[in-house]
Amino acid sequence: MNLGDVLHKDLVKVPLTGVTKNQVIEELVDLLVTRRQLPNREEILQSVMDREHLGSTGLVDGIAIPHAKTDAVSEVFVVVGVSAAPVPFESQDGEDCSYFFLVLAPSDHASAHIEILSAIARTTASSSFKRILKAVKSPDELYELFID
Amino acid sequence: MMEQMFKRLLVYLDGSEDSMSAAMASIVLAKQLGAALTAVYVVNTKALLDLVKAHIFLDAEQQEYQRDIEGDAQRHLNHVQKLGRKKGVDITCLKREGEVTKEVRACISEHDIDILVLGGLSEIHSRRDELLSDTDRMMRSASLPVFVVKDNDDVWDMYESLEDIDGEEMYESR
Repeated sequence: MNLGDVLHKDLVKVPLTGVTKNQVIEELVDLLVTRRQLPNREEILQSVMDREHLGSTGLVDGIAIPHAKTDAVSEVFVVVGVSAAPVPFESQDGEDCSYFFLVLAPSDHASAHIEILSAIARTTASSSFKRILKAVKSPDELYELFID
Repeated sequence: MMEQMFKRLLVYLDGSEDSMSAAMASIVLAKQLGAALTAVYVVNTKALLDLVKAHIFLDAEQQEYQRDIEGDAQRHLNHVQKLGRKKGVDITCLKREGEVTKEVRACISEHDIDILVLGGLSEIHSRRDELLSDTDRMMRSASLPVFVVKDNDDVWDMYESLEDIDGEEMYESR
């Protein structure tokens, strides 16, 4: 499985309107739940929040990868968002975050979950990718950045 | 008479449906060629460590996911072994840990493999995907013939057309 298999244009939101960590996570979860008509919003949200309580998934250079293993979903989902303004996310470098990659997978998809998280980590570690990412203004542009 | 060219097949499993089709196709091939069949599942500990180094995973998460993947690996290997037994094909099942392509290459060398069997490659969505897919990397870097299984329905039919040996009831692994 690669990132292109699970990245879908309708699960990309630019800009996100949330101004706090919790609001951004809720916005990403809501996008997924609405677009895929998933019945268990609270369970999904709780799993992501539970993971955040163990330690922030805010990384460096404005990127955050909130994620959770939850059987409230039956396949691997990636939801991507760019916030209108940087959001405090308790990230590693202390900077606020603007680019969010929510990754959810059921417990029996552990290998695929790891593969997708690794793909996002590798892609977002590239400085040229980050430079282009900063210029993104719409969901289409963000999607095209991955699917070029 | 020409010497048998393909004596030892290796099928790579990663828990996906495509890799299970590859397993069934490899059973058909092994049966028809009279070749030995090995199945390998690699617990990608390299990726897990990379996620910890990047601070995406906590140590506890790494351990939890490693246990999950090891469980998946064992379940899939058991299932494939049973699929083989049903058709009279003994399968040597290996569970390894490390970087996927490196471990598969080592396995090919250690077991003197002649053909590597892989499940369908992911659709190429971008040049970036090409660089990131383990299956792609394996196919491109392999120094031996690679058999890529693409049509799952046909493979199922081929597998089912082989005579059952022990009439054993199959169980669902997932």
